[in-house]
Amino acid sequence: MSYDVTFQRCGISALFDLKGAVDAVEAWVGDALPDFPDRPNYRTGKDGKELFFIGRDHWLARAPLEQEVALEARLKPTDCPVDISIVRVSDTTTFFRVTGPDAGEILAIACPLDLHDSMFDAEAVTYTEVFGLKALVMRCKDGIEFGVEQSFADMIEEYLSRATA
Amino acid sequence: MLLIPCPFCGKRNESEFIYGGPVGADRPDPNAATDQEWVEYLTVMPNPLGPVQENWWHARGCGDWFTIWRDTRTHDIVEAPDGTK
Repeated sequence: MSYDVTFQRCGISALFDLKGAVDAVEAWVGDALPDFPDRPNYRTGKDGKELFFIGRDHWLARAPLEQEVALEARLKPTDCPVDISIVRVSDTTTFFRVTGPDAGEILAIACPLDLHDSMFDAEAVTYTEVFGLKALVMRCKDGIEFGVEQSFADMIEEYLSRATA
Repeated sequence: MLLIPCPFCGKRNESEFIYGGPVGADRPDPNAATDQEWVEYLTVMPNPLGPVQENWWHARGCGDWFTIWRDTRTHDIVEAPDGTK
């Protein structure tokens, strides 16, 4: 059976992992990033940059890859205070977009989380499972976007290719 | 399949978690404990017929460690972690 979806391997983005007490991290990053989300597993965005609230005292900042150098210069990971941690993790995660009328069908098989609009809205973003792997899942235009550890990217691409064959 | 209440993420599928074993007794003072107390601490794990406190790690989620009370007869989670939505 084939599904009416298209998928796109988006490759890597500029990603920075931020940990620490929210006040301390906010004070360090200033206006380099969007406002910190106040709800767990939600995101905020500004000027193409996004900030995901992915765990207790844990955020992930995402931006287009071409902004990586400028963002790193603003966040200064190597100079940050000892009570917070900022690490560039851009090359650890590969993103995929699954779009089209049957995108929900594919994700219903791949992911145990209920991704229906009523349960997982446009600004939601969370780690969960996709095809048995830890994956960062969020909505995108007309579908779902997810990121997996980059060494599994070829395998995920193969799975998605079979679904659309 | 269990739906486990993560204090950060809310109820999630059991497959996102890794079981961390039952919550055992507090570590006794090795200088004050008898050999028997020390051996019991190291080797005897709670294994009741009924509610047991367990550690779980949300490994494929937010990464939190937390404890729940699970009834071994029914698999019902009888007490969720503090702050669970």
